[in-house]
Amino acid sequence: MLLQQILNGTVSGAVYALFALGFTLIFGVQKLLNLAHGAIFMAGAFIAYYATINGLPFWFAVVLAVIATGLVSIVTDFVAFRQLRKQGHAEFAAIVTSLGVDLILMNIAQQVSRTQVLSFPFGTFPVEFYRGFGMRISLLQIVILVLVVILVAALYWYIHRTSFGRQIRAVSSNETTSALLGVSSQSVYLQTFFIAGALAGLAGVLIGLQFNSIHFMMGEPFLLQAFVVVVIGGLGSLMGAVLAALFIGIVQSLTIAYLSSELSIAIIFTLLFVTLLFFPNGFFGKADTFARGSRR
Amino acid sequence: MMNFYMAYQPIIDFFLIAVGLGYSQQIALKAGVFSIATAGFAAIGAYTSAILVTRYGIHPMISVFAAAAMGILASWILSLPLARLRGAFQAIATLAFVQVVIALLLYFSGFTGGALGIINIPRVVNTGWLLLAVGVTMYVVWSLNRSKVGRVFGALREDDSVAASLGIPIQGYYTLAFILSGVIGAVFGGMRSLYVFNIEPVDFGFAAMVASLTVVVLGGRNTLLGPIAGALIMAILPEIARPLAENRGILNGVILILVITFLPNGVGDELVYWLRRRFRRPSAATLGRTVTKGGANVSAH
Repeated sequence: MLLQQILNGTVSGAVYALFALGFTLIFGVQKLLNLAHGAIFMAGAFIAYYATINGLPFWFAVVLAVIATGLVSIVTDFVAFRQLRKQGHAEFAAIVTSLGVDLILMNIAQQVSRTQVLSFPFGTFPVEFYRGFGMRISLLQIVILVLVVILVAALYWYIHRTSFGRQIRAVSSNETTSALLGVSSQSVYLQTFFIAGALAGLAGVLIGLQFNSIHFMMGEPFLLQAFVVVVIGGLGSLMGAVLAALFIGIVQSLTIAYLSSELSIAIIFTLLFVTLLFFPNGFFGKADTFARGSRR
Repeated sequence: MMNFYMAYQPIIDFFLIAVGLGYSQQIALKAGVFSIATAGFAAIGAYTSAILVTRYGIHPMISVFAAAAMGILASWILSLPLARLRGAFQAIATLAFVQVVIALLLYFSGFTGGALGIINIPRVVNTGWLLLAVGVTMYVVWSLNRSKVGRVFGALREDDSVAASLGIPIQGYYTLAFILSGVIGAVFGGMRSLYVFNIEPVDFGFAAMVASLTVVVLGGRNTLLGPIAGALIMAILPEIARPLAENRGILNGVILILVITFLPNGVGDELVYWLRRRFRRPSAATLGRTVTKGGANVSAH
């Protein structure tokens, strides 16, 4: 029972990691919170759903959803952040504009789905279970775990081993200097927003499959969850986000199993509070990050 | 006038509540605190009032004062971790605070009624009481603006390290900003619960948070006119845009983006700055503040 809960927690933690990675990537590069991330996640599930019921093969629907959410994320950057970057002091303004994008996307989804809860047609993904060591794991859970491991490794490789990744890291540490050295911050923003959106979209599809429910508000709890994940992991830290996501996933499934789901929310957000109070840079953030001190 | 009032009374009342919650939101932003905890304070105030009135038969007037006391307590506790944080981290932490409040309201369902909330709250608050509360709040905010506290808040907002270097105890003033935000939020939350007959946790969730933030962003973060202008827009907009009712989210979203991008100070603040530039009366200077953002430089001391 306990091991089963830990396994389930790891799987949901893995999906949180996909979601939180994009969120923390944007924060790391731009120092801005993207509140539209939850809606982009939701858009991924919606696009995959409508592609599937319109007869496209499921794998193609997933690819379509991932690319489309990447593009939606880029549009979000154009609409909500680009203008603000030019003006400076964007921190507060970005919260508001991305909230605006969030409202717009949710409203569109609400109209499209007529406020109904949708679910993928039965058999979209084969339902199979494997047993062992007293635990039960579904094929979907295995696929999720493998996919997340591959994607996290790929992202790590991309950020730390390629020239593009070096540019991203350069812009995130100092935009002006890297621009002087010939790094196009525009292309870095495009890349980070595309990657972030694509990861969120994939997470949306996976969550839609796993819980078999897709609705226009599904992004909201994940966005709130992502806050906890990135704060505990340290805003802007990729590895921190992954580890914290797994931790939160496990804490959540244990508290839901042994206590109650409302209490689970309270515990998780109290955890966030305690972390902010004693380790404001998270457990994996760099010592000189931005929790305290000047707001510029 | 009377006819107008009769026809639009609910809208006017909700407008007044929105103005009150707007001031709660504004006073935090004024001190440079990125708090979006107003919905949480409103929830605490609303539940305090509602429980005292329905369960213990306490006089509604006293229950609102109790709500205020709970608001002070909650915001003081909240300020302990938050006064140490900055910027986006404060926004995240206050967001978490609202979530914790709602989760606890759902969890202690024996006491709070859980997801169903509290029903059959007597309606004792009317437009007069709301006007009085808004009036008192405006007076408090106005006199704060004119006092040392207001100037310190301005300094904190513009640059907290400079403020600290001038010998201002910034933790203390951040705490004060939180407590003011908390008490105003809780009072209007309490009055709202005594107006709407029943309350449930959902009333104070993400949507409520967005609503009070919207009022201040649209209206303006610095002047007394700000929340009034913002709440007025939010009250009138649904009436004008009735055919767009289904797409209100899109409308709100577009307006938020456009206003913050092109009128970053908000409609109300821009109007006040424009009037001051236009008439350059010394009354602008008595506010004793130099406003720098958006090129509206008012420094006629």
